[in-house]
Amino acid sequence: MTTASTRRMPPRKSVQTVIYHAAMLLIAGIFLLPFYWMTISAFKNNAEIFARPVTWFPDPIRWSNIAELFNRDDFPFLIQFGNSVFYAGSVALAVCFSCSLAAYSFGCLRWRWRDLVFGLTVCALLLPGIVTFLPVYLGWSRLGLNGTYWPLITPFLFGDAFFIFMLRQFYMGVPRELLDAARLDGASEFRIWWQIALPQVWTALVIVGLFAVVYTWNEFFSPLIYLQDREDFPLSVGLFTFQANRAREWSISMAGALFAALPMVVLFLLTQRLFRQGLASSSLK
Amino acid sequence: MAILAKENTAGASSPPRRLGLAGRGEARAGFLFALPWMVGLTIFTIIPLLLTFYIAQTKFQIVGAPKYVGLANYAAMWIDPAMWTSARNTMFFAVVSVPIKLVIALGLALLLNRVTALSGFYRTVFYLPFLMPAVAGSIVFMLLLTPDAGPVNIALKALGFSPPDWLLDPKAALWTIILLSLWPLGVETLVFLGGLQNIPKDVSEAADLDSPRGWHKLVWITIPLISPMILFNLVIGIIYSFQVFTQALVVGGTTGKPAEATLMYMVVLYRAAFRYFNVGYAAAMATVLFVGVLLLTLLIFRTARSWVHYEGDSR
Amino acid sequence: MSIMTYATPKALSRRSFLQSSAAAGAALAMPGAAWSQAEGQLLLWLPGGSDLFCKIHTGLLDSFSTKAGLGAASTVCGLGQDTEFTQALIGSITAGNPPDISMLWDSPVSLGAQGAFMPLDEMMKGSQIPIETWPAGLLSSCQFKGATYGLPVTAGVYSMWYNEELFEAKGIPSDRASFPKTWAELRKLSKEFTEWDGDTLKVAGFMPNRVSETMAIWSALNGGMLFDEANLKYVLDSEQNIEMMNFFVDWFEEEYKGDVNLIDRSGNFRDGYADGNTGMGPAFREGRQAGMQSGSWLMGDIYADPVPVFTRWNLAPNPYGPSGTASVSGTWPNWFVIPVGSKNAQAAFDYLSFLAVEGSVEWYQQIPDVPTNSQVKLKAPTGLVENRGQEFADDLSTFLGAQAAIVTPMWNSPVQSFGNDQVARAIEKIYTKAQPVKEALAEAQAASQAELERVLAG
Repeated sequence: MTTASTRRMPPRKSVQTVIYHAAMLLIAGIFLLPFYWMTISAFKNNAEIFARPVTWFPDPIRWSNIAELFNRDDFPFLIQFGNSVFYAGSVALAVCFSCSLAAYSFGCLRWRWRDLVFGLTVCALLLPGIVTFLPVYLGWSRLGLNGTYWPLITPFLFGDAFFIFMLRQFYMGVPRELLDAARLDGASEFRIWWQIALPQVWTALVIVGLFAVVYTWNEFFSPLIYLQDREDFPLSVGLFTFQANRAREWSISMAGALFAALPMVVLFLLTQRLFRQGLASSSLK
Repeated sequence: MAILAKENTAGASSPPRRLGLAGRGEARAGFLFALPWMVGLTIFTIIPLLLTFYIAQTKFQIVGAPKYVGLANYAAMWIDPAMWTSARNTMFFAVVSVPIKLVIALGLALLLNRVTALSGFYRTVFYLPFLMPAVAGSIVFMLLLTPDAGPVNIALKALGFSPPDWLLDPKAALWTIILLSLWPLGVETLVFLGGLQNIPKDVSEAADLDSPRGWHKLVWITIPLISPMILFNLVIGIIYSFQVFTQALVVGGTTGKPAEATLMYMVVLYRAAFRYFNVGYAAAMATVLFVGVLLLTLLIFRTARSWVHYEGDSR
Repeated sequence: MSIMTYATPKALSRRSFLQSSAAAGAALAMPGAAWSQAEGQLLLWLPGGSDLFCKIHTGLLDSFSTKAGLGAASTVCGLGQDTEFTQALIGSITAGNPPDISMLWDSPVSLGAQGAFMPLDEMMKGSQIPIETWPAGLLSSCQFKGATYGLPVTAGVYSMWYNEELFEAKGIPSDRASFPKTWAELRKLSKEFTEWDGDTLKVAGFMPNRVSETMAIWSALNGGMLFDEANLKYVLDSEQNIEMMNFFVDWFEEEYKGDVNLIDRSGNFRDGYADGNTGMGPAFREGRQAGMQSGSWLMGDIYADPVPVFTRWNLAPNPYGPSGTASVSGTWPNWFVIPVGSKNAQAAFDYLSFLAVEGSVEWYQQIPDVPTNSQVKLKAPTGLVENRGQEFADDLSTFLGAQAAIVTPMWNSPVQSFGNDQVARAIEKIYTKAQPVKEALAEAQAASQAELERVLAG
């Protein structure tokens, strides 16, 4: 909408533009500083990280830190990376499947207790996770499934309030006439969902998947509690235990943090447009 | 499916009844499509919620069986100084960090709301911190804010400030965690930006911030128009702030170093359950958190009527 | 035989998840046993510790398993040294899938009293390590209501460390016999060294104690205690303890400007290790601190990075306080427990017998955690012999042996972690002047006693 004002920008505004960009670049610099510091620290040794005066660029660049990160016995980084990929991927797939069913039901179908159940879903969305956590944890313990990924993934096979909520927004945009027309043609409800509704929201499904990947990648509390083995940890917990036990080895911690953040950053850069679309939909009313 | 198909064919013969029958098929399908979720909701939310209320009234040391003790856990909470400290810290954290975060996010969104060659770049930069795993973000901040050798303090000293010891100073530590939580504000910013960009063109042109009356317009036009988003972010933000855990644990451990300055409610709860094996107490704390969040949410939604503008309100 | 593996032999849960995903429907009903430890293979868990620590234990378990004809044994190292370790262990126990043996760095009493660990008394009878071969004071850290829930196989012994070269530079006699015998002497001596440059602490003498784990030793040195085991009562705010903290605070005000922030900004004067949060090296090893209290494990690590800038350090007994009469020492044991649900309890116990008598000798040679079983014949640590010569090493071994004999009971509360956290909280409040001594101790006392009574209430 500001295109209009840009077009009729008088000359004196060019000073303002310069000020604007200077301010924005400064703010952007502040936001990027932690990333920058993390990155250069990953390529320094400990003494260089704490050296005075501050060195703003590693010299020499210690590539060996990265090799060390991938080969440490007490920080199985690559295995934990694999775990994170597995965990985030499974949750994303589970969520895409289960939530698209429920969200379709809430967004496109009319049935008796729909509003009640959806109301409960919204309540569940606002419910602090810890309130239900302990009994669920004890339940999984009794089943002997602690220390596995079952407790971390299974719940998502049934759905997740947030993603149902988000997907429903998209399903609500599917024209009802389209579905009714299919009904008139005698299509089964399952086919209507599979062949008509679903193709309408496939972008949304990708968005939900992306969000699920990011949330799961960063998830800390549940894996911390359910998993006991370092070889099983996702990166979030692995990085925490490494930092807590080897607090002095900052360069390795930073290299770990760098490689934990990198996949998400790359994913985001590749799919920015979808992310923004998802954000817009999740918040509108 | 066969039944559904039959009903559909049967309905086709008489138009008036057709809708009703198709509706019944639709209703059944609606129920079936939502069934897995309803099962999940029952198993993973509703039943555990009730069990939490029950466990809160027992002495339960993880190993062994729970034993009913009535309200003893709540009584213990009442006299537990660590619980009060953590509740105070958490409330302070939520009340201070969420509004500051929303204000900054709104400011950034207003700044971003113009088309320039670098818009995409800025947007990306502001969003990136959100993608940083909280654990990684926290340890990066610990390094950045190292009192003597950290770049932040060195820069501040060079500029003539006398910076605090951040995470090592009991007086500054909680503020440091607030600072840490402000960094990933990309979601809020982009949500606001989306809202600003949805404002009809005629309205937004009138509210051009470059004009002297811009701020007036901001307060009377722009903010009301995106008030649903502010509400959304406020509710979610506060609920999540009450559950702040990861940063607090990474930075302060289970004792809220230094001097309980970073001790958060969730950390005390975690420590009760998994360090002192007092699951009953942890459940009581969870119940209190539940009630607190519930009341707060109701309060926000109640008062929201007076300050949130929905486009459909006139109807 | 695996040399060193960080992986567990139980199928990795991620992999097993994938495998069993094939049978997704039935999977939820699948018994936990699918993931559990196979019989005849010992699985050992260790909390934190250096790589060396892990290698020693992996080697010991492997050599035992080979001798005993067991299958591939495995050791899981570095699972975390704080709450995350106990939480993981308790998680595996409640899931019925625990390791066969686990080392603990926190007293086994609290979890043992709740039925998480097997009582070892039956197995100890008639074994190689009967109950009378253990020092009673140490074993009490594993005992609750007559049952023994773990073994303190080795222990780091706390004593005073000092820099002989700094002493001599000031013309102060540096032999052990001349080392201060009382707190008052220590405080007087400390002043000789302490040097401030504005608000920066350049060199320090000795510091009043700020560590919660060792507070029991300092309390005993002043004739007091933190937890009265015989009467199952906490006594944190006893007269001796108030006197102790007042002594510390007074000393702290006089010599260290009463500001912990100034000290912590100036360097790491807390212990002999580099500070992870600030990157600051240990002041003692940098030659900036005359002495400190530390555990004997530092003897193994002192020549690691960062190496000390001086060569001649020595150990001396802990001085005693105004209400104390004699020196005592304290320990931080390495406890071993056999969790309930262990698939190879007997083999695990046999390993403990081996470790307590033979294995701990090898362990001590590399990392000087002092073996506690009375049947052990010690040989001086190899690293120490290399760096300081046979005579010094033998002398220290004798000294540590003597110190181990005057260990005060500690780590013996059924709510050990809770009590320790309360003490830590009181210490922080006192040193940051958030609360006066008496009030802070009384608050810690009330909370600890209440928790103790709650747990004991059955």
